[in-house]
Amino acid sequence: MSEPKIKVKTGESMTAATPPKDLRPGGKTVDMGHEPLSLDNEEICLEVKDFQLYYGEKRALHNINMKIPKKRVTAFIGPSGCGKSTLLRSFNRMNDLVDICRTEGEIIFDDKNIFHRTVDVTDLRRRVGMVFQKPNPFPKSVYENVAYGLRIQGINKKRVLDDRVEWALKGAALWDEVKDRLEDNALGLSGGQQQRLVIARTIAVEPEVLLLDEPCSALDPISTLKVEELINDLKNRYTIVIVTHNMQQAARVSDYTAFMYLGDMVEYKDTDTLFTNPEEKQTEDYITGRYG
Amino acid sequence: MESTSEALFGISEQRLTKMRRYRKLKDQVAARLISVGGISVIFAICLIFFYLLYEVLPLFLPASIKQTHSLDQYTLSQPYFSVVEEQGQVGLAVTAAAGPVFYRVADGQTLLTPELPTATAITAFAKDSPGSRAYALGLADGSVLIQKPEYKIQYGDSPLDKTVVPRIEYPLGTTPIQVLNGEPITQLAYRESDDLVRIVAADSAGHLFLKDFAKTESFLSDEVQLEEQTTLKLPQPSGALTNILLSLDQRWLFLVEAKGKVEVLDLRNPVAEMRVHIANVVENGTEITVSDFLLGGFSLLIGDSKGRISQWFITQDETNQTVLTNVRTLTLKDGVAVTALQTEHRRKGFIAGDAQGYIGLFNTTADRRVARKQVADSPIQWIAMAPRGDLAIVNSEQGGPVSYHLDNEHPDVSWSSLWSKVWYERYDEPSFTWQSSSASNDFEPKFSLMPLTFGTLKAAFYAMLVAVPLAICGAIYTAYFMAPALRTKVKPAIELMEAMPTVILGFLAGLWLAPLIEANLAGVTAILLLTPLFCLIAAFSWSRLPRDISTRVPDGYVPVILIPVVVLAGVISMWLSEPMELAFFGGSMRDWVSNDLGIDFDQRNSVVVGLAMGFAVIPTIFSITEDAIFAVPKGLTQGSLALGATPWQTLVRVVLPTASPGIFSALMIGLGRAVGETMIVLMATGNTPIMDMNIFEGMRTLSANIAVEMPEAEVNSTHFRILFLSGLVLFIFTFLVNTTAEVVRQRLREKYGSL
Repeated sequence: MSEPKIKVKTGESMTAATPPKDLRPGGKTVDMGHEPLSLDNEEICLEVKDFQLYYGEKRALHNINMKIPKKRVTAFIGPSGCGKSTLLRSFNRMNDLVDICRTEGEIIFDDKNIFHRTVDVTDLRRRVGMVFQKPNPFPKSVYENVAYGLRIQGINKKRVLDDRVEWALKGAALWDEVKDRLEDNALGLSGGQQQRLVIARTIAVEPEVLLLDEPCSALDPISTLKVEELINDLKNRYTIVIVTHNMQQAARVSDYTAFMYLGDMVEYKDTDTLFTNPEEKQTEDYITGRYG
Repeated sequence: MESTSEALFGISEQRLTKMRRYRKLKDQVAARLISVGGISVIFAICLIFFYLLYEVLPLFLPASIKQTHSLDQYTLSQPYFSVVEEQGQVGLAVTAAAGPVFYRVADGQTLLTPELPTATAITAFAKDSPGSRAYALGLADGSVLIQKPEYKIQYGDSPLDKTVVPRIEYPLGTTPIQVLNGEPITQLAYRESDDLVRIVAADSAGHLFLKDFAKTESFLSDEVQLEEQTTLKLPQPSGALTNILLSLDQRWLFLVEAKGKVEVLDLRNPVAEMRVHIANVVENGTEITVSDFLLGGFSLLIGDSKGRISQWFITQDETNQTVLTNVRTLTLKDGVAVTALQTEHRRKGFIAGDAQGYIGLFNTTADRRVARKQVADSPIQWIAMAPRGDLAIVNSEQGGPVSYHLDNEHPDVSWSSLWSKVWYERYDEPSFTWQSSSASNDFEPKFSLMPLTFGTLKAAFYAMLVAVPLAICGAIYTAYFMAPALRTKVKPAIELMEAMPTVILGFLAGLWLAPLIEANLAGVTAILLLTPLFCLIAAFSWSRLPRDISTRVPDGYVPVILIPVVVLAGVISMWLSEPMELAFFGGSMRDWVSNDLGIDFDQRNSVVVGLAMGFAVIPTIFSITEDAIFAVPKGLTQGSLALGATPWQTLVRVVLPTASPGIFSALMIGLGRAVGETMIVLMATGNTPIMDMNIFEGMRTLSANIAVEMPEAEVNSTHFRILFLSGLVLFIFTFLVNTTAEVVRQRLREKYGSL
């Protein structure tokens, strides 16, 4: 069975195919002269090496190099279209679904390049879970939503499922709200509950990494707060990468923050340093609200 | 935003007001127009429905019996037989005392008492079929006189001013035919065909004699020559006779005995073997009161002293014995003796009267009493009926003759005659049959809608069998797996199939595909088996190809590779067709199917219909299903894939359930199309109204039946209205299917909604 509408070309063979265009204004490359982030005290979960990504002719990510530390929250910030979601989606190869997308370079996860042909993409996606901007519960019951990830793995024992569902819902701080309506349609939940349900669904299959793509942008402030608290709870168990437009949120929840601009990783620091003492002018402009 | 009283965006307030008013007007006009449009559509559909209903309703209106006037000046004694002519102006009564007498229906006054050529007393009477109008008088000297009333219409000043002038004719001459030797005839039966006159007469001792006369007409004059052929003494009846009846085909003689028995004689057998069956036609303690033939001279009607009138005819039982079988029993009034019976001249119906003064109209095909009315307090003595079945003169013992208008347009339609098995005349058992017309005048129309409904569903079933798997699987692949660039070509191409006029599809199916399949049955069967096999082999080899080669085909264009594979499978199958037929099926698989397997094979069969109508239905189902699957939010697909589901799991567990309302609609709309489709089934089914699930036989559908028969149906006849009824059935069926589809779709949407 092939992926629906895939058109992925893994790096090596395609290097010479199309010369990447530099589409940034003025065509200058950003000088990466600042001090690289030191992560010597951290265990590394994901390592991005010389990573480039193209949508057709257009280069969307330029030569990204970064390391994501284990069991920490890493935030990607930047103005719209800067490539932060694209980079996040690369971590579990969700970009494969885009017809005209191709990549160069490597992303190392568990000592393997995830783009290598021997990697089972479904297993990768189980281990690197993802939560999307808009809550996307399936049109099934709350219970079946959480059990979905387990069922597709072939786990169908009622007792095991019951345990895992309760565990995941508790983990996503949703158990108390939905324990009496497990058989109700998940679409009847509020937006915030739906998003936490999606997080529960994701953690039910015990991933190692959680990718959160603007998880709160469709939520009201109270729901946002709840999800942020949840992220705080979850970081003890999972490596979390979060994309957000909301700089306060990045400052509140993350340990490390990367600022991206027009497909470049402009600055990657621990969160306190980045927000209080940005090295790059662009970073400062962005976090002080000059653009974005 | 800043605004002043004079201007906004530099436009004066006045102009702005005007623009706003114009905008509001446009909005209101649009709203009205849309409402009018919507209401018109609903109105048009209601109009169609009510028009169909208006045409169909008369079928189900009850018949009525209305008194018009009494015949005060009628003075005749009890007749053997009484009848009214076509115009309803002149009646004829045949009495023992005066022979035939014509009277005026308006008041009962005697118009004419024709003089008989002999003075001998009349002792018996027998009539031929109502179509010939002739009857025989048995005389006291053992001779028989054949008479026939003739009516001439004289027009006055206006076409409406008609006078009917009656006279008596002697088609076989005025000389009585000698049947018994000088003894008075007590019972008489007589039938005349083109070349044979057969007379059966009983004498006072109960001996039965048969006489046949060959009939020759001279070319120059209308004179008829009779030549005596046979005289037979028939077997002695076991009891006293009350009536003897000879069937129209002159073969069966029924001897009705007072004790409630009917003896059946087969006149083709030698005398010793003539008696083939003796039937008890009434219960013990009940007597036969009246007996006659139903129209057609084949079915016997027996009225008894308990108010029942039963229909009997000759059938063959399991051991091939000839038996007189009770087909149905109708009741006038329970427990009251039937005293008079008169059959209709043009329909399988009759009118009966009883001892309490009730008269009833009956129809045997519809198996029902159409109407009943008490018209007198005394027993009904005789009834005369006009050929059109709209006028009857009913004579009761004390009330005298009274004329009635009968409003009885569609007696042969009932729920049971349309939808249940009916035991038709000359059939060995009840059956579902559609046969609306025939060359014969005394034909029993068979209006069972079951074979047509069955045919409709059978055609739809085979069409759906072809269309559903192909259309749904194709739609799934196109919407979910195919490269977008290819999808933009495939989808419009399939939708273009829908633009193909069905008359062309039907034409191709009937005149090209049907003979092709018949001639290459082995090849066509091979295509059905080889194509999937070849596809699987191709897919397997593709997966085994080195990556260097397989990556040369752009992603999502892989299915294009299947085109030559499918073509190849077709070519190989057709090429192998003849050798296979020769090798395995003795030269012709079609003959092998019909001879060795014993399966009937029609050239225009369900395979042809399934393929042709499947082809017509595929685009409908494909298009709606494809849209439904494509409309499943990408967020759901991605959410599932992001959890580590394979594309197949995502399809089966998320995409298909979410698209199910749309897929269900697609199936129902496809079914509605298959059921209502006319041209393809008209041209490719053979239009044989049979009820058989056999894939190699044809069918007739409701829609094709309307198309075939509407042009030849007499306007406002029962047949015409039944065709409208089948249209109404089709309408209701489509309506129900669509309503079910909508209800189910709404419920599914509720379940998978708010997406």
